[in-house]
Amino acid sequence: MVSLFQLLFLQQRRSLCTRASPKRWRVKQVNNSNFPESLQEIKDHIAHSDFVAVSMEKTGSPAPPSWHRLLPFDTVETAYLKASLSAHHFQLLQFAVCPFSISDSNTLVAHPYNFLLFPRDELRMGMPSYSFSCQPSSLASMACQGFDFNACINDGISYLSRVQESVAKIRCGTAFPSFCVMKSSSISTVADTVFVERIKSRIKHWRKTCKSSGTSGNKDEELINSLRNIVRGSEQLRSRPCLTIDVCSERQVQLIVEMLAEISDDLLPLIIPAKSGSTQAIRVVLANSKEDKDFLERELQNVEEEETKKIRGFREVIDLISASQKPVISHNSLNDCTLIHSKFIAPLPPEVDEFVSSMCTVFPEVLDVNYLIRVIGTKRKVANIPSAISYLNNHFFAPVDVKIPDQGTANEGKSHGINALRLCYLFMKLCSILKVSPYVNESSNKHMAAELEDFVNVFHPCAAADIQEAPVNEDISIWAKNTRKVSIDNVVFLWGFKFGTTAGMLKSLLHASHDIFLGEFDVKLVDKSCAIVVFWQPSLSKQFLDVMNSKEVDGALKDLVSDGMRVTSYQTYKTICRLGLWGMNLAESLESALGGSHSDMKVDSGSKSSEIHWYNDNIINFDDL
Amino acid sequence: MNPTPRKLALSLSRALSRALTTATAAASQSGSAFPLKTVTTKNFEASLSELRDHVRTSDFVAIDLEMTGVTSAPWRESFEFDRSDVRYLKVRDSAHKFAVIQFGVCPFRWDSSNHYFVAYPYNFYVFPHQELEDLAPCYEFLCQTTSMDFLAKYQFDFNACIREGISYLSRAQEREAVRRLNSRYESEHSNICKLKDVKGIQLISMADILFSERMKNKFSKWRDGLLQEQSREEQIIGTSKDSKQLFEVIFFKMHPAIRLSGFTSRQLKLIQLVIRKHFQDLSYVCVNSEDSGSQHMVVYTDSRDELNLLLKEVKDGNRKAEEKKIQNAVGFRHVIDLLSAEKKLIVGHNCFLDIAHVYNKFIGPLPGTPEEFVTSINKYFPHIVDTKILFNNNHVLQEKMKRSRKSLASAFSLFCPQIAVGSNSSDLDSPLHVKVNVEVNDLRSSSWNPGAKHEAGYDAFMTGCIFAQICSDLGVDYKHHESSPQQLALNEKLQKYVNHLYLSWIHGDIIDLNTGDKVAESTPSNNLKRQYPKILFENIVIIWGFPSQLKANDLRVCISKVFGPASVVSVYHLDATAVFVQFSKTELVYDFLLLKDTLERSDGTILVLHPLAKILEGGNTCAADYDTYKEICGSPISEALFAEQAKAVGIKWKTKLVESQVTLQAEDHESPGAEGSVNSVMKLVKTKPNIIEQLRNAPSHRKVSSFETEDSCCAVEMNA
Repeated sequence: MVSLFQLLFLQQRRSLCTRASPKRWRVKQVNNSNFPESLQEIKDHIAHSDFVAVSMEKTGSPAPPSWHRLLPFDTVETAYLKASLSAHHFQLLQFAVCPFSISDSNTLVAHPYNFLLFPRDELRMGMPSYSFSCQPSSLASMACQGFDFNACINDGISYLSRVQESVAKIRCGTAFPSFCVMKSSSISTVADTVFVERIKSRIKHWRKTCKSSGTSGNKDEELINSLRNIVRGSEQLRSRPCLTIDVCSERQVQLIVEMLAEISDDLLPLIIPAKSGSTQAIRVVLANSKEDKDFLERELQNVEEEETKKIRGFREVIDLISASQKPVISHNSLNDCTLIHSKFIAPLPPEVDEFVSSMCTVFPEVLDVNYLIRVIGTKRKVANIPSAISYLNNHFFAPVDVKIPDQGTANEGKSHGINALRLCYLFMKLCSILKVSPYVNESSNKHMAAELEDFVNVFHPCAAADIQEAPVNEDISIWAKNTRKVSIDNVVFLWGFKFGTTAGMLKSLLHASHDIFLGEFDVKLVDKSCAIVVFWQPSLSKQFLDVMNSKEVDGALKDLVSDGMRVTSYQTYKTICRLGLWGMNLAESLESALGGSHSDMKVDSGSKSSEIHWYNDNIINFDDL
Repeated sequence: MNPTPRKLALSLSRALSRALTTATAAASQSGSAFPLKTVTTKNFEASLSELRDHVRTSDFVAIDLEMTGVTSAPWRESFEFDRSDVRYLKVRDSAHKFAVIQFGVCPFRWDSSNHYFVAYPYNFYVFPHQELEDLAPCYEFLCQTTSMDFLAKYQFDFNACIREGISYLSRAQEREAVRRLNSRYESEHSNICKLKDVKGIQLISMADILFSERMKNKFSKWRDGLLQEQSREEQIIGTSKDSKQLFEVIFFKMHPAIRLSGFTSRQLKLIQLVIRKHFQDLSYVCVNSEDSGSQHMVVYTDSRDELNLLLKEVKDGNRKAEEKKIQNAVGFRHVIDLLSAEKKLIVGHNCFLDIAHVYNKFIGPLPGTPEEFVTSINKYFPHIVDTKILFNNNHVLQEKMKRSRKSLASAFSLFCPQIAVGSNSSDLDSPLHVKVNVEVNDLRSSSWNPGAKHEAGYDAFMTGCIFAQICSDLGVDYKHHESSPQQLALNEKLQKYVNHLYLSWIHGDIIDLNTGDKVAESTPSNNLKRQYPKILFENIVIIWGFPSQLKANDLRVCISKVFGPASVVSVYHLDATAVFVQFSKTELVYDFLLLKDTLERSDGTILVLHPLAKILEGGNTCAADYDTYKEICGSPISEALFAEQAKAVGIKWKTKLVESQVTLQAEDHESPGAEGSVNSVMKLVKTKPNIIEQLRNAPSHRKVSSFETEDSCCAVEMNA
């Protein structure tokens, strides 16, 4: 009765308050043509924002019934391996960024951008990606939402990851001579002295000839000089003479640089890198004066910056967010961060711990809105951001006012990439429901609220269940009720049953087959080929595996085995994820792991959490979250 | 010869009415563009029946395909060091991984009264929509970035392709779908009453119990009403408070029924439970129909027999709907089936990859060897001709082609200049040139602007024109075979060329589709292969995973130090991580692999001093014979670098020892099976220690010569 009254009350209140209608929201669309100026704009917006929300659209994601999708019983490790598989395969076509700041408890100021991406091979080096996978269903649903593939492929912004950039610089080699860094010199040997003296005299001689030929005003001499230059093959850099000295070690580079500083202040050394990354030669440029040298240095630095900017492309935005150290809001942080890492930073490391520490150097704080929603205590399946918003709107009263100052500049009628903006809205709403003020302004030192720290950098989609220990909200118990923790030792994978068998049929088959199944156990189908069996009584799983592997299989179980039924422990599942045996069916992969020589591969186990979560409610589908 | 005015008016008015009804027709008629029929899902049905007539009466059909990419990794591109079976495996990989997104079909018919060919160019947008979800869960295809960029440059409409592209299923996929459908309908659990998952449901919450009770009342009221007064079916019970839940009284196959809509799946399950539990004469039925999706209803039947009859009827109906769905998913393959059934002469331009795609996408997975593929494709398409074969195997044509580039467009302007500029009545017109008119939507035109290059429909048209011209140049007389269209394929002047396809363009390896034999080019002249020495595949070792700074020449120097200056014929970079080394003698392959293995097993001291140490540095260097390369190419995996690929394929050994024919007799029979699978760990051959000793001392005995620096990027020739 009370709740009914409350509901009516809320309904009334809601009708009174005016909310910004999401339909009118516009997002600034950025492609190749307006990228440079947008970059300047977003730079300021990120600098002045409190948070940055990100959301991306890719060419595919594993969906049921494929076992490649994230499954409720995945450990941190297997979840990471699955996410990295999909990050590696699929391509980003759209990246929405929305820097926003919070002006008061229920108003946020947002600057939504949507960047169209295409991995165009600008440098003809097979980078950023030689090829990528697409799922027809993903492309079709993007097309349904009005995504313009022609615009994407024609005008999408390209990019290179940090690692790819350094590879590209080495391969372009001579295109970007870089500047020398002075290091403290160590004790010089006789060989060093001989080398330095030899080069010194060469440079002095060259400098003298250059200076002398430069001073004479005679026209004939100028002609002769230029002819001489052609004959000698002497080089020029921005109409200044230069000399290339081949070197064979970094030590020699150091010696030459030091020596040049001694001779004169109008010599600028430039390092020409070799393809392998080491130094191939030093190009010494003779400037007219010290001022001219400084001017040249600045000029070359600008050119280099422009070139690298062109190479980096969209990654510049990621670098801006990273440099700002602002907290990043994401809707599925594991998927989003593996994607960002593999496309814009470096190939994903094999271990989840390495990934987390590497990710922390890029984005120090990543906040997953999904966890926040679970804290609210929804048992319902909240498939995507819009449905999460409508769920919150229907169940809670938390008005949020969204202000978008640059609506005028946004391209008319386009709302692609609106999810990042919705994410800001959702985040604010959640904070308001949880009564957390997201940003603390403490003696001119702004930082994120301590209450939110619990949700930062949790790269395990199922880990939210652990939050129940954290005293954030009492409502946890409601939804946590149908989750049971299971040790992975009590889980076995089972396959080789008849096509079309349901979990219920399988359970009754097993129940009738052996005494082990007289105790409490559960069966769930993972995909059409394979099921997972949970024993609620410890040690039974081991017993079952032993029986299946021994020769004394008898009775009904023997019939099942002779029909092709096979079992294996959770370790095998970990092994196939680790080895990348991503077969079409789980059964196929497990089989090949057991049958092949892979079984001798060492699988790291133990240190990682060996507990997984068992959901009695089989409608929960984490992939959709 | 002009058509009579009446005829003209008739065809014009027909064309106009069509132009009004079909949007695509309007686009293709708009003066400037090349007349071409663009086909998407919107006009597929109509276009198919039209095409059927055109193909049936045609003399030959030219085809062309646009794909999302060609090679899945840089090392999968075609190289000089590809044996024809390896080349086939690379083509197979390409056809397997990439999708076909545009298909050009252009039937050509000889109009004997006007003495010209009539071409009917069709441009089909196709896209591998997965309309049958359960068939291939999470189907993926690959896109090569450069190919997508290339297509975009030629104004390919990706939006049209993805939104309106016609789907396709291969014959094998269709068989599988039908098999699944049959097993679903035959199995005892498939039952339109959908009771299988209801059993487990339990009334947990109060809401469920209340809902069930309400439903029970509602249905019993309705049923009682039916029984009391058979005439009063019109009564309305659907006045539910919640407007979303709807009960609609209907007649379903002559039985009174209630259609349920607006219920959640759980509520529907509860209704099923209620009906089963409480009502003998009511039954819950789920009907799948094509247009309105699945419908749930509760039907009243007088007797058990009547119910069974009804259920059977519904079951058959559902099955029909699903069969129809499969037929829709087959989509574009109907065009391929048509070409195959009519046994027409298929004309393509450098079309081995195209034919492989046709096989993979519309027939079934490609077989493992080129021979199997050839016998299989011949069953479906008995006559295929490649215009590229025609150019290269005829002296006259080759002479003509010499100055021109090899692309399709340049060949087109060379052979058919008057068609290329789009006019049949210019001064280029000569009796030697075959005339071609284009007919789209029954509107024939003889002049047009050039079409868009790399649009499948226009490319197919160009290919067909070139073929028609070449046939005429070869002396094929069109006037004498108008009665039987198959005669062109059997024309003796073309016999040398029909069913010959380039397997490997670089080697000039031609495969005969009739026999499966490899044929040498009849006039090998200015081909690439002339520049290179004959490659002896049995003399080749593939090395990968060596230190990245080593270049082809470094490797050659290292190996020559051990085996002598003349031992290495050439070194060729496959990619940054792998090289082929061709030795002068087959035994050297064995010797090299053995030495490498021995060095790796020996202690560090020997290794440091050995010339091969430079190659083995880092401990990741692997080496194997050419067959291993073939096996790796055959794997479905595609990693970017060859060294990664070998790892992903599951190679864990460092050296694959092969049996050398020379040492075979001396060896025990414990030597490893060279044909063992890639995954197996190789056994070590027991060898006589003195061989090792000899090899170890090798550098001191043999003169080390220096070589000129070579370009590491291409194969280098050495005077053997």
